[in-house]
Amino acid sequence: MKRSALLLGPLLALTLAAPVARADVAETVEDHILPGLARFTATTATLAAIDSCEPEALQVAWGAAFDAWVGVGHLRLGPVEEEGRVLAIAFWPDPKGMGQKQTNALLAKADPAVLEPALMAEQSVAVRGLFGLERLLWPTETATGDYPCALTHAIADDLARMAAEIDAEWRASFADHLLNPGPSSRYLTLTEARQALLTTLITGLEFNKDARLGRPLGSFDKPHPERAEAATSGRSTRNLELSLVALRSLARSLHQPIPRTEAAFDRVLANVAKVDLSQVDDPTMWLKADILRQDITAVREAVMAEIAPALGAGVGFNAADGD
Amino acid sequence: MKRTLTAALFATVALPALAATEAEVVTTYADLAEAGYADSLATAKTLQAAVAALIETPSEATLAAARAAWFAARIPYQQTEVFRFGNPIVDDWEGRVNAWPLDEGLIDYVDSSYGEAPENPLSTLNVIAAPEITIGGAKIDASQITPGLIRDTLHEADGIEANVASGYHAIEFMLWGQDLNGTGKGAGARAFTDYLQTEGCTGGNCDRRAAYLQAATDLLVSDLAEMTANWGQSGAARAAVLADPAKGLQAMLTGMGSLSYGELAGERMKLGLMLNDPEEEQDCFSDNTHNSHFYDGVGIRNVYLGSYTRADGSTVSGPALADLIAARDPALDTRLRAELDASVAALQAVKTAAEGGLAYDQMLEAGNAEGEALITGAVDALVTQTASIERAVAVLGLTGVAFEGSDSLDNPGAVFQ
Repeated sequence: MKRSALLLGPLLALTLAAPVARADVAETVEDHILPGLARFTATTATLAAIDSCEPEALQVAWGAAFDAWVGVGHLRLGPVEEEGRVLAIAFWPDPKGMGQKQTNALLAKADPAVLEPALMAEQSVAVRGLFGLERLLWPTETATGDYPCALTHAIADDLARMAAEIDAEWRASFADHLLNPGPSSRYLTLTEARQALLTTLITGLEFNKDARLGRPLGSFDKPHPERAEAATSGRSTRNLELSLVALRSLARSLHQPIPRTEAAFDRVLANVAKVDLSQVDDPTMWLKADILRQDITAVREAVMAEIAPALGAGVGFNAADGD
Repeated sequence: MKRTLTAALFATVALPALAATEAEVVTTYADLAEAGYADSLATAKTLQAAVAALIETPSEATLAAARAAWFAARIPYQQTEVFRFGNPIVDDWEGRVNAWPLDEGLIDYVDSSYGEAPENPLSTLNVIAAPEITIGGAKIDASQITPGLIRDTLHEADGIEANVASGYHAIEFMLWGQDLNGTGKGAGARAFTDYLQTEGCTGGNCDRRAAYLQAATDLLVSDLAEMTANWGQSGAARAAVLADPAKGLQAMLTGMGSLSYGELAGERMKLGLMLNDPEEEQDCFSDNTHNSHFYDGVGIRNVYLGSYTRADGSTVSGPALADLIAARDPALDTRLRAELDASVAALQAVKTAAEGGLAYDQMLEAGNAEGEALITGAVDALVTQTASIERAVAVLGLTGVAFEGSDSLDNPGAVFQ
């Protein structure tokens, strides 16, 4: 009796304390990935359902779809990597200006055949997706004729199709690869599945630091606010913030508790609120934005110190490897 | 050419007591690198001589000979690309030698359809036509085109990576000129008369063009000599991997995985296909991309099998990474060998089709189903082998922790600390 009482003591204490949330691959799939994909599917369907050519309504729906994309854009594995979908959904950065060049060519040609879904799906990734739509919804020159609006609708349909396909393929099979690793799965062991998810977290942080911040920051002497992501529509800072929020959600669903990682995310999210990436040609703003890079490095270090060992996983190869 | 090296770099975890074998494997790796760069150097010297002959006596024949020498020089060099990722000393140097894509209007005349690149005001500088140039507001005397001018002033001028003034692809542009055929048949068609020092010079400034070609080729030779020495018996690159064989194994696997996945399958193959852009091919002036990709794939397999067939047909080989994996996980070794063979075969299929008349840029054309299938086949094979390379990392007990991102650029030494 005495022994069980002794055992019961700590157990009770454990129960009474704040419960430790469950977290691992299954929780990440159920709580982070699938809801995010559902949101992306729903918002792109809403955008595609708009019949009008009214830019305001389209811009609002496009913004909601972009919000949803930023919530899942770091998940660079599985269906999104098939058929170049990730490139077609969000072709950025685009240092050679391919998107504008190819969009101009499409508009000049005004070929009605391109508007057919099958042909639109075959077009260059640089003219499609969220950035293709941004160029049409915030045109540099006033659009003439019906073609730009028809092209907008066709690209929106194509985007919604890709979102629905990714969503469906995750639910039909890819989630199962992560949830049930083994000889017939893409992942042989649970550790491999954990490593795949950890890799998306780390790569997502890197993308925010190197691309979303690095491109507009350039150097102190030569900042490039015009190179920020979605600068035309004024979404650059919002994308950075939403991405960090999504990455924190991923971190939380991978492992609990993660006090050091939480603190690092708190810090970068507090600081991002003080930044406007369209203003980095102002030296004070440049320095504030530069601090975010250090903050993100600190998040990455926290994740590697806290989550990686808990998962027994490292960082795998990823699409950003290379030059 | 220097985006952040986000390669998987793994913290040291104690390895089983097979240190001698690991040291032997890493020694083989360094031997392969040394032989590969030595062959690159030797074939670049042949190119240098052929370029001198072209400049001395411009003709169809001397131009063709220089182009043939350039093709030959690519074969050993591409097999060394696998040494780049995971070895900061190579990665920091590589941009001088193999950078692409380039805004070639920096160097010489271009077609009127070329247009200025949106993020590069120097993309139409045309230094061959301009003895005095302005870069970043500063006037520069470019009356003498020297290796120093190319290396220190023009290359990556204004901090823009597309300003590629040196290396294989700058020389390629000098020998072939722009490929104006889009996704249609044909490579660049520069005429030998672009180098005529007498009447009949085409394109203008033939003397400065010749000086540029010679200087760029001389620079390539000296850069390759530097890297060959780095892998020699007392070289810094060899010392870095041998100092701690576990780190050497990391460098080997990082190179194999990063080149397979992010670089070759992603940046070089899938992206070009998805953009349907004929300039999204590595050797875009000469239509040699199929060979560059193929020898990249061969190089990845070389590192695993610990064997390299030299330009003269002889073989350098020794204890291999494959031996280490086979001792610990024979099934993984069998699988990875088969996957490496499959990717080389898929790249061979691209090469065979290109040699049969379907050039790589034609494969990129929208709606070219055969080309798309060939490229996709190679991409898929490279992606598949990457998963097994990750497993090899785990089997060797190298999975672990440290993720070196920009640290490897800020402080190259940090990778080996």
